Amino acid sequence: MRTIPKKAFPFFLFLLLFSLESALSLEVPPLKGYVNDYANMISPRVRAKLEGELREFERTDSTQFVILTIPSLMGEALEDYSMKVAETWKIGQKGKDNGIILLVANKERKIRIEVGRGLEGRLTDLAAGRVIDLVMKPMFKRGDFDGGFTAGVHALVDITRGEYKADAKGVRKKTSVSSYLTTLFFAGVLLLFIGTISKFLGAVMGAIGLPSIFYLLFAPSLFVLIVLGLLGLLMGIFLPLIFSGGTGYGRGGNGGWFGGFGGGWHTGFGGGGDSFGTFGGGGGDFGGGGASGEW
Amino acid sequence: MKRILPSVFVLTFIILVSGCGYNTMQMKEEAVFAAWADVEAAYQRRNDLIPNLVEVVKGYAKHEAETLKAVVEARSKVGSIQISKDMIGDAKAMSQFQAAQSELQSALSRLMVVVERYPDLKASQNFRDLQHQLEGTENRINVARTRYNKAVQEFNTSIRIFPNNITNRLLLNLKPKEPFKAEPGAEKAPQVKF
Repeated sequence: MRTIPKKAFPFFLFLLLFSLESALSLEVPPLKGYVNDYANMISPRVRAKLEGELREFERTDSTQFVILTIPSLMGEALEDYSMKVAETWKIGQKGKDNGIILLVANKERKIRIEVGRGLEGRLTDLAAGRVIDLVMKPMFKRGDFDGGFTAGVHALVDITRGEYKADAKGVRKKTSVSSYLTTLFFAGVLLLFIGTISKFLGAVMGAIGLPSIFYLLFAPSLFVLIVLGLLGLLMGIFLPLIFSGGTGYGRGGNGGWFGGFGGGWHTGFGGGGDSFGTFGGGGGDFGGGGASGEW
Repeated sequence: MKRILPSVFVLTFIILVSGCGYNTMQMKEEAVFAAWADVEAAYQRRNDLIPNLVEVVKGYAKHEAETLKAVVEARSKVGSIQISKDMIGDAKAMSQFQAAQSELQSALSRLMVVVERYPDLKASQNFRDLQHQLEGTENRINVARTRYNKAVQEFNTSIRIFPNNITNRLLLNLKPKEPFKAEPGAEKAPQVKF
């Protein structure tokens, strides 16, 4: 076994310091589900029950409500940390900003309710503070965490129920399809443009471009991709021929290209949180509303 | 060749315009304005809360007239400073605004210290409610300020980097914006006791 050369020592020291640095600032843990009990404060039975209730709440009201317990804040300020969690997880639906995060730091005995911007009207700082003071605190003081979490969650759900309604199933799909269409339209115009310069380039672009767009958007099977490749090849050759009638497309076509670019990329890849069944934040925004307390 | 010439021109123009940062800089400036509106709203919220707080404290702590007066005066001073969206580029106006707000902040924290001497007041639900609201507001101010500073930093960077700086000098003439400075005393790390 070779010994580590002396010259490498400063480098290792640097690495060590670097890893210490990142260990000192408290990381936001991954979002596992509605109940993220990293401090093991809730019994498995109650955890499963709350998980089910909160899932049902999101299904009916679209409001996302997650619980996070951590063993210790490691010296970080409660409000700073909970804001960091809110900005990382992005709980709540995009545009509605209807997220709630119930954060509990076990060692510091601190509770924080972080309220999304869209819920601040119903769940005011005052209401959140009262839930902490009057509902959760007394039970936590007795050591009844199961009861405290259950009662706190019920109180918060009761306050915010009815503020938002879940979208009808079709709505989300409709907007996504139109954004796919913009992407396709943009690609078509680009193809047309390249095709006018060179037929060969257009054909190659079509054969590669069309399947790759569909691959990114829908993840189709290999067979479909090959068919699409052939279709793209034909489009690359024939689209310019169809439009070669005059110079009329110059202005209009490029206008469409620009608009399509912004719309297509922006909405096409933003993605909703709950689209494929895995749980994640929907892109909700937080402005620092909510309340803190200690037990 | 003649057929494709116009479209080549248009494409070059679009690439030039989107590549020189003309749109990006304006988008970033709008983001700064939006973040500033949030800052103002958060401060306004605190201002609106103060009369209630003063009333409640007055009921329990009659002997603290001086501390209460300081809060009321600081509040009216803050109210007299009008800061518009054009002034966030102005270092002097900005520091004036910040000074007034931090004076109010310290008057408020003095009041909160005084309150410790009145257990009845601290125990009253009225006061506890107000305390939650005040805490929430302070937190919102904090968040809004951090986001504003981030927006300012992004904007200021965007008007300085190449080639945006040339576009800015020739076409837009946008001025850098002022971020919030750390409060005096905040540069000292708080002492942690175990």
